[in-house]
Amino acid sequence: MKKKKTTIIVGDIIGCAAALIIFVIPFLFMLMNSLKDRKEANQLNLSLPDNFLWSNYLEVIQTGNYQILTAFKNSGLITIGSVVVLIVTASMAGYIIQRRRDKVTGIVSVLIMVGLMIPPAILPTIWVLQKLHIYKSMFSIIMLEVALNTPFTVMLYRGFMSTIPIELEEAGYIDGCSKINMFTSIVFPLLKPVTATVIILNAVNIFNDFSNPLYFFPGKANSTVQLTLYNFMGQFSSSYNLLFADVIIIVVPMLILFLIFNKRIVDGMVAGAVKG
Amino acid sequence: MDKKKIYSLWFLVPATTIFAVFFIIPTLASLYFSLTVWNFDSSKFCGLDNFKMFFSENSLNIGIKNTLIYAVLTSGLKVILAFLIAVFLTSAIKTKHIIRSVVFFPNLISTIAIGITFAALLHPTKGIINSFLSIFGVGRIDWLGNVDIALFSIIGVDVWKGLSIATVIYIAGIQSIDKGYYEAAAIDGANGLNKLLHITLPLSRPSRNSVIILSFIGGIRSFDLIWAMTGGGPGFATDVLASIVYKQYAAGYYGLSTAGNVIMLVLIAILAFPLQKYLYSKETA
Amino acid sequence: MKKKVLAILLTSMMTIGLMTGCSSGTKDTSVETTPTEAAQKEEAAPTVATDSENTAADGQWEYKEATLTFLIDSDVSLDGFNAVAELAKEKLGITIETEMRAGGADGDNLVKTRLASGEMCDLMGYNSGSLLAALNPTEYFIDISQYDWSKKLDDTYVGTVSSENQVFGVPLGSAQAGAVLYNKEMYAKYNLQVPKTWDEFVANCKVLDQAGETAMIGAFGDSWTSQVLFLGDYYNVLAKDPNFTSGFEAGTTKYATSEAGLSSFKKYEDLNGLYNDDYLATTYDDACDMMASGQGAHWFMLTQALSNIYSLYDKETVDKIGVFGVPGADASNQGLTVWMPTSIYGNKNSDKYDDIVRFMEFYVSDEALNAMTEAQLPDGPFCVKGYQLPDNAYEAVKTDMQAYFDAGKTSTAQEFQTSVKGSNCPAICQEVASGQVTGEKAAKEYDEDCYKQAIQLGLDWKE
Repeated sequence: MKKKKTTIIVGDIIGCAAALIIFVIPFLFMLMNSLKDRKEANQLNLSLPDNFLWSNYLEVIQTGNYQILTAFKNSGLITIGSVVVLIVTASMAGYIIQRRRDKVTGIVSVLIMVGLMIPPAILPTIWVLQKLHIYKSMFSIIMLEVALNTPFTVMLYRGFMSTIPIELEEAGYIDGCSKINMFTSIVFPLLKPVTATVIILNAVNIFNDFSNPLYFFPGKANSTVQLTLYNFMGQFSSSYNLLFADVIIIVVPMLILFLIFNKRIVDGMVAGAVKG
Repeated sequence: MDKKKIYSLWFLVPATTIFAVFFIIPTLASLYFSLTVWNFDSSKFCGLDNFKMFFSENSLNIGIKNTLIYAVLTSGLKVILAFLIAVFLTSAIKTKHIIRSVVFFPNLISTIAIGITFAALLHPTKGIINSFLSIFGVGRIDWLGNVDIALFSIIGVDVWKGLSIATVIYIAGIQSIDKGYYEAAAIDGANGLNKLLHITLPLSRPSRNSVIILSFIGGIRSFDLIWAMTGGGPGFATDVLASIVYKQYAAGYYGLSTAGNVIMLVLIAILAFPLQKYLYSKETA
Repeated sequence: MKKKVLAILLTSMMTIGLMTGCSSGTKDTSVETTPTEAAQKEEAAPTVATDSENTAADGQWEYKEATLTFLIDSDVSLDGFNAVAELAKEKLGITIETEMRAGGADGDNLVKTRLASGEMCDLMGYNSGSLLAALNPTEYFIDISQYDWSKKLDDTYVGTVSSENQVFGVPLGSAQAGAVLYNKEMYAKYNLQVPKTWDEFVANCKVLDQAGETAMIGAFGDSWTSQVLFLGDYYNVLAKDPNFTSGFEAGTTKYATSEAGLSSFKKYEDLNGLYNDDYLATTYDDACDMMASGQGAHWFMLTQALSNIYSLYDKETVDKIGVFGVPGADASNQGLTVWMPTSIYGNKNSDKYDDIVRFMEFYVSDEALNAMTEAQLPDGPFCVKGYQLPDNAYEAVKTDMQAYFDAGKTSTAQEFQTSVKGSNCPAICQEVASGQVTGEKAAKEYDEDCYKQAIQLGLDWKE
């Protein structure tokens, strides 16, 4: 018993050390350099700044007439909207595809796999959106993000469904559960752990998406957070210090979201396992 | 129970509708345009000329080779490393919540930012990775400038960034394994390794399949990290199919680049569908 | 068909001004005074020679409030533009909202997509020459040739922003050169002469290299910088084969098979091993720092780097840098390859047509140019007739570059003379510069690359 404890502590130490070196140093690097002046940041080292220039952050926020605030609003709306729609549509689809295996679900499966494979065609998509008169709207960018993330999300739900025993649904069937109730009150609650995963992964993915908003949601009023990085990347203004400060500002909301859901993922999984 | 009645196809309608309108239809339209010289305003039918021209692209060979190396190595490394990390993080380790959070961090940052950061860390003269290695007497390595190394450096960064998702999928899978199996095994006197090999490994198959498929296909079509770190260079040394297609698209050769997309689709289909079929047939068996 | 006609017209228009370059604005040196740098920088009144009377004096501009959006890549220095925009707000009531985009392939991608989908800003900053030609400009941009004020634009410049007898652009800043920036102190220290031929240049490099200096700065971490040697060599290509442009446009003269063209690519081979160690990771900005702090002797670069160094350091630092054209084979015919400025184009389909034209007219007025030069010193001559270099221009611009203009030894780069520029040019130059392929192979790859562009433009090239 004692030996086991030592192993765990050693594991702790090694794990922490490895995580520190491999995963924390790059972030420390960004943080340190975000607080230096341009010349010092150009040295690209990990040392503490000579002077802590917190004003870099202020400068980033003020750039382009507080462009970053608009950007946060847009990115926030796109992210929330897309994730909500995704949870509803993909959980239902994943559930049916996993449970009902016939020709129709087979075809849908294949189509969705295709979605994983092909990069989206930009101009034809714009063409379709213009025909529908929804180009450049918040609605269309949300729907696009949903469409592009559907394959991955359905896969997650489908994969998770296969670990849920079918007995509960059989019991529900005997009790005379309607097909809608079966999903909303029996199956969906069991999907909580994977839903937490879906939320965090998709939120991060969509929030960090750079190219789709660029093409399908153009215009200064529609700028998203990733676009603000360009303010600090050109030939004439390439400044690592401001760039990294911007990166860190952008990461904060995702970090908060992650810290919230990181715990939820664990809780949800324990609950699910007990019930299962 | 009547599966057809309970598992109604209506549940599929919302997802498939959105997917069809915003993805399938534009994709089908692009198939037509791959047979034309197209500049958005007008398209001129040119048969298979675009395909011919795409195949004569001089960086195509290196692109195909790089694509395969990239996809196989990134997915292979992610499957193995993420599994080990996931097992480690689902064990009795006390700091697992912290470590799990830390492993997830890279995923919170956009690809562009990661590309810039690692280009700085991997800088041949100023970068801290080379400074660190020089302590051990390792000479200066030009991580992104050396034609033979560049692709592998990017693969390393891709794995660094992508491990988190694979790990999360694994953790979700491992944690949903019924604890009863482990308890029963413990009663039978099984040790940790036995449990790992005979319970965790086989029962985490669904999540492993997801990881394999996702990272393999992701690896084939991925180029954003490559684009952010080397732009396909030096020269064409780190070009992959997707970056070739993207460059053609950026140059305004819409017909040509859609043809490239079609070729990519075919390649992916040849590789991925059998793989998927194989994996899932074992899953249901 | 339409595209083809367009391309041909464009070429012919471009060829007219072939060997002239922008109005060079020979300076009136007799009255030159040399106040201190600091005073010049702070001085409120413009030090610019204003011999051509302002077309519109203060208060003559129509004042009407409006907001115009402007799309520009983050690779362009906007100090001068912003100064004019501020003045425009005061005098014209026009507020400019600038939207930044990426440069390079990503930027082209975005511009083409936005034009095609009808979502362009009111004003757009973009290259002149072949890259403009690839946008199908008659479809999208306001023809300014109908306005009298467009007549004051330099003829060579106009040739690079025109097609089908329409004119679209006004210059965003000054013209510049693609040339060799060199460290004058290092030249003095090792007693070197400015080379008259390529061989002399390589010999200079070897001397510096043996002395332990970095003879060549390579900044190929930004792949576009690798093109400057190839593109900046065009004066020498034309010196050897005056018909190169027309043959190339017709698809008969190829780089790989013509001696004149091939020599441009071969020059890269001579420089292998002379670069800084981290030349494949060094960025444009790093290289500016290296040039400023004397860590390297030569750099093939556009003279816009002078302004970048100026904004990072000071004028004294910039004036330690000299400029000479890419050396060729003939010591008696040394020339400079000139780049036309990035231009501002007006969106024809915008509902603010009149405001756009008002702004463009204002932008090329002496009043606006004065504001511009005050905020940002020029990297070469202006493309507005009669508007001259300010007295406090960089040494490299007013002495080194001016000499070429005075002698009439300038030519515009190829992309301002033909509509064809292969899109993989940066990658191919990077490939040959890093020694992965030979000059012959690179030339051949570039020919194939250009063939693709020609097909897209509808030119009748045989494979």
